[in-house]
Amino acid sequence: MIDFLVNWLANTPVTAAPYALAALGLIIAERSGVLNLTAEGLMLVGALAGAGTCLALGGYPALALVAAMVAASAVSLLFAVLVVVLRINQVIAGLSVVFFCQGFTGLVGTLAKWQNKQLTGLPPLKIWPLSEIPGIGRILFQQDPIVYLTILIFFAVNFLLFRTMLGLRIRSVGENPGAADAAGVSVTLHRIFAIVAGSSLIGLAGGYISVVSVKLWVTGMTGGRGWIAVALVVFARWAPWPALAGALLFGCIEALIPQIAAAGIRVPQYLMLMTPYLATIAVMIWVGTKDSGITQEPGALGQPHVREERR
Amino acid sequence: MHDILRRAEPLTSPVPASPRGFGRLTLDVRQNLPPWKQAVFVGSSLILGLAISVAILALAGIPPLTLASELAGVLTAENLRGVLIQAAPLILVGLGASVAFRIGFWNLGIEGQMIFGGIFAAAISIYDIGPPATRLILMGMAAALGGALWVLLVVFLKLRFRVNEIIATLLLNYVAMYFLFHLLYGAWQDAKTAFPQSTPFRPFERLTDIGYGVNSGLLIAIAGVLAAGWLIHLSRIGFYTRFISANPRMAKVVGVPVQTATIWIIAISGACSGLAGFVNVASQEGRLTQSYANGYVFSGVLIAFLSRNDPIVVAIVAFLIAVLFITGQTLQVFYQIPFTMVQMIEAIIVMAVASSEFLIRHRIRWIR
Repeated sequence: MIDFLVNWLANTPVTAAPYALAALGLIIAERSGVLNLTAEGLMLVGALAGAGTCLALGGYPALALVAAMVAASAVSLLFAVLVVVLRINQVIAGLSVVFFCQGFTGLVGTLAKWQNKQLTGLPPLKIWPLSEIPGIGRILFQQDPIVYLTILIFFAVNFLLFRTMLGLRIRSVGENPGAADAAGVSVTLHRIFAIVAGSSLIGLAGGYISVVSVKLWVTGMTGGRGWIAVALVVFARWAPWPALAGALLFGCIEALIPQIAAAGIRVPQYLMLMTPYLATIAVMIWVGTKDSGITQEPGALGQPHVREERR
Repeated sequence: MHDILRRAEPLTSPVPASPRGFGRLTLDVRQNLPPWKQAVFVGSSLILGLAISVAILALAGIPPLTLASELAGVLTAENLRGVLIQAAPLILVGLGASVAFRIGFWNLGIEGQMIFGGIFAAAISIYDIGPPATRLILMGMAAALGGALWVLLVVFLKLRFRVNEIIATLLLNYVAMYFLFHLLYGAWQDAKTAFPQSTPFRPFERLTDIGYGVNSGLLIAIAGVLAAGWLIHLSRIGFYTRFISANPRMAKVVGVPVQTATIWIIAISGACSGLAGFVNVASQEGRLTQSYANGYVFSGVLIAFLSRNDPIVVAIVAFLIAVLFITGQTLQVFYQIPFTMVQMIEAIIVMAVASSEFLIRHRIRWIR
C-alpha cells in the first residue's frame, strides 16, 4: 500500500507539469484580454518540435525543449496576428489554430518519419541528501529538472504579472483596453507579447510531454490536455497559484490510471481513461455552483480592441 | 457658440506627420462596402487560402499538377458516387453546427454526438428491436435521440451550472470516444474478427443505393436541409431564434420562451449530428468502427461558417468539403499523406475567409 502511494505520488509531478505550464501560458495571454483556446494545438507543435530536434540531433533534450518553446511561439504569432491585428472572432481563430496544428503536426511527423521513435529523455535530478529520505525523497527530490524549473517559472511569472510595470500594462490592456490605450499603452504590442510569451510556456508543456515524460512522438499525443488546461484557467480564476494547485489535482488523477493497472486491479481500461475529462467537467460544475465572489477574470476577455471604433 | 463651430474638426482628424519619417499604418472604418466588392474580398482570400494549402502540399511531395489530376479523378462519374455518399454526413453536421451557432451555442461536440448516434443506431441492430420493415426508421430515430441526449447533457450543465459549452462539448468528445472503444473492445466486438468493430448490420439495416448511384443517406441529408430551412426561416422557433440571438434580454421581456427555444434548437443540432453518425455507419461502414466520427468537428464549424448558417448554402459547401475529403483519402492511400491534412486545409480556409471580414469592415492605409 505504501509502495502504491509512493509510486503514485512520485509520478504525479511528471503528469502535472504540462498542465501547470500550459495553464500558466494561457493565463498570461488571457490576462491581456485574449481568449486563448490554442493550447491543444500549440502543445502538439511543441511536442513535435521537441521530438524532432531530439531525433535530428540524437539527444540534447534541453535544446529540444528550447526548440519546442520557439516553435510554439512562432506558430502563436499567427494566432496573434489573427486576433490582435485582424480582430477575428477569438473563438473561431483559436479553434482554427488548434485544428491547423493538429493537421500540420500530423503531416510533418509522418513525412519526417518521427512517429514512435524512442527518445533519450532527461535524467532525474537527485537533490542529495534530501533525495535519500525514504518515501518523501522519491516523491519530492528525485524529479527531472523541468519539474523544479516549473516552480521557478511560476514565481517568475507571478512576479512579472503583479510586481512589474510590464505586468501591470498587460493586465490593464486586458481589463480596459480603451483606458490603457488612452494612457499611452499599446494594446496591440502588449497583447502580441502576452500571446507569444505565454505560448512559449505552452510549447514547453508540449515538449515536456514528448521529450521527457512519454519519450515518443505520436500523432495527436496531447489527447485533449490542452482543453483541460483551458478549463484549468477558468477553475483557477486567472490566477497562477490556484492553477498550479489544479494542475497537481489533474496530475494526481492522470498518474493514478497506470498505477491502478500496474497494481493488477481489474477495471475497464477505457472507462478509466475517461476520468481526466470527467474530472474536468466535475471541476467546472464545482466552479459554477460556487458563488463567484472574487474572480480575476479580465474585464475585456475576448473583446477585440479597435481604437477607430471606440464610442 | 461660434468658436465651437469654427473649431469643429473634420470627421477624420488629420494625422500628424510621423516623426521618424517612415509613415505609419492607420485604420479607417468602412461604412458600407457594395456586395460585389465584399465578394471580391472573400473570394480572393479564399483563393489565397487554397494557394497556401497547395503550396504546403507541394512541399509535402504532391506537385500541383498531380493534385489537379487527382481532383479531376475525384470528379469523374464513378468517383462522384463516393463524393455524394461522403456529402451526406457532412451536410448533416453542417446543419447541426449552423443551427446551434444561430443561437450562439458553440456546439463543438459533433464527434461525440455522431458517436452516440452511431451507438444508439447499432444498439437497435444488435438487440434486434422492431420488425425488419421499419428497422431503418427506428435506427435513424434512435440515432437522432442519441445525438440529442448527448448534447442536452451539456445544455443542462450550461443552464444549471454555467459550465462553458466550448470546453464541455470538446471534453465529452473524448468521453464518447472512450465509451465507443469500451464497447468495441468489449461487449460489442465482432466475435468473428480480431478487429475492434461490431458485428455487421443485416442487409435491411443498411442504407442502400436508390439508383443513379445515389445513396439513400443523401436523401436523409436533403430532407434535413429542407427541414432546417423551414425551421430557421419559416417556423415559430426559428423566429424566436433570431429574436434571442439579436437581443436575449428583450426577447425574455416580451415573452419569448427563451429557455425552451434554446433547448429545442440545441437538441435539434445534436439530433442532426446523431443522424450524421447513423448515415456514416449505415451507408459507408455497415457496422460500428473506431473512427467513423473522425474529423467532423471542424468540418461542421467550417461548413456553418462559410455558409453563414444558411441551410441551402450548407448543402453546397458540404459537397465541396466532400470533394476535399475524398481527395484526402486518395492522397492517403496513394501518397501516404495523413488524413489530418484535410483538417489543416479546412483551418487555413477558415482563417483566410475570417481575415477577409476585417478588410471588408476596415480600410488599412499607409500614411507618410
